Amino acid sequence: MKIICRCEDITEEEIVQKINEGYHTMDDLKRILRVTMGLCQGKGCRKHIAKILSRELNIPIKDIVQPTYRPPVKPIPVSATADKE
Amino acid sequence: MNNTSDAIIIGGGIIGCATGYYLTKKGFKVNLLERAYLTAGSTGRCIGGIRQQFSTPLSIKVAMESMKKFGTMRDELKQDVEFHQGGYLFLAHSEEKKQTYMKLIEIQREMGIDVSFIGLSEIERLVPGIDPTGLLGGAYCPTDAQANPFLIVDGYAKAIKERGNVFPYKDVTQINVQKEKVVSVTTRDNETYFAPVVINAAGPFARDIAQMVDIDIQVYPERHEAMITEQMERFFDMMVVDYRPDGCYFNQKWPHGSVIGCYTPIPNVPGYDLGTSFEFAREMGRRMARLIPRLGNTKIIRHWSGSYEMTPDGNPILDKSDVDGFWIVGGMCGHGFMLGPEIGWLAAEYITEGKAPYDITEFALHRDFTGKEVMK
Repeated sequence: MKIICRCEDITEEEIVQKINEGYHTMDDLKRILRVTMGLCQGKGCRKHIAKILSRELNIPIKDIVQPTYRPPVKPIPVSATADKE
Repeated sequence: MNNTSDAIIIGGGIIGCATGYYLTKKGFKVNLLERAYLTAGSTGRCIGGIRQQFSTPLSIKVAMESMKKFGTMRDELKQDVEFHQGGYLFLAHSEEKKQTYMKLIEIQREMGIDVSFIGLSEIERLVPGIDPTGLLGGAYCPTDAQANPFLIVDGYAKAIKERGNVFPYKDVTQINVQKEKVVSVTTRDNETYFAPVVINAAGPFARDIAQMVDIDIQVYPERHEAMITEQMERFFDMMVVDYRPDGCYFNQKWPHGSVIGCYTPIPNVPGYDLGTSFEFAREMGRRMARLIPRLGNTKIIRHWSGSYEMTPDGNPILDKSDVDGFWIVGGMCGHGFMLGPEIGWLAAEYITEGKAPYDITEFALHRDFTGKEVMK
């Protein structure tokens, strides 16, 4: 058993199972499994998931579309921006 | 033939998928075309709140019926949808707001909603650590709720596939009309899909889709930003709504406890842009921490945006059009997710039976748009 998404505790087996069920994009997998939605926002798992998708569906890794990157780059306390003018 | 069906739905959000689900239940073969992935438009960008506290008898009824459908969804769709009835609390920071809520509560209670105006001590019990400065009380409905938009749309889509198809990444570029009647739609990759019924459930793009059959509908997207924090122990159960001009609203997601929230920008931000602004990050943090100071220590992990599909009066459009077979279901004004199940059911009933199960003339395409939904 390989843990792929450590924030949401998702294994390679679970990802492969969802790919077999028809979830064929990063965006689909993200929304059904919560991969890339945790504290690291995919910094730890995006590339691994893309690699699994590429392998399972036999498509070049450069053609795997990554979900949108959004701010903040790393988690910041609410007060860090709230206090600043 | 995969390319022919009883109905084509344009849009894979809650409205399109709920409509497709109920049409499928009525025996229709549905082909659903989504320009990106399911929920990519607005549904997947919403914060997942579901409330019944609206201001007019029709909107209250639709919201109450929708809530019933959320309540039985787990069994219907045979999967968990993270539905949780934690309530909605509308805070009153002025006598005027309090009076508005009191009047609405009367209407809402008459229709059978368990809602009441609660005082400060009750609020402080329900929301530990809330700053009571200037607070006069709030309208609280404990049966209002939240759920997971992705899982619900996924469940609806699976049901549609039992009879028909769900096609992601199919961007509709043309709707083909013969003798004032829809016959087919064509997608960017030059596929053509045939059906006597075409439903425009394109959310923020509803106006563009309608223009393909030369109909102008009054649906205009506005950008709303949202943010989510790291996961934490849940310490308040409801959506807290601060309706001051510089207010915001947020709750803790069920089951993992992240605080998710947004506010309505003044002035509004019309258009399709789904970027993010630093101003929102700063303001949202300030507004949240002003209300519950301990939230100042929590960390924001993501900040994104989505569209509200606004109509001039704040009510949806659910109607047939002047082109035979072309239906419009949209203009949800930020209430698409919470009202979606009932709107989908209403649309399916209207389409299959030829008339709506109850009076929805307030949602008509050709109506006087000067009224206003107060509980925006």
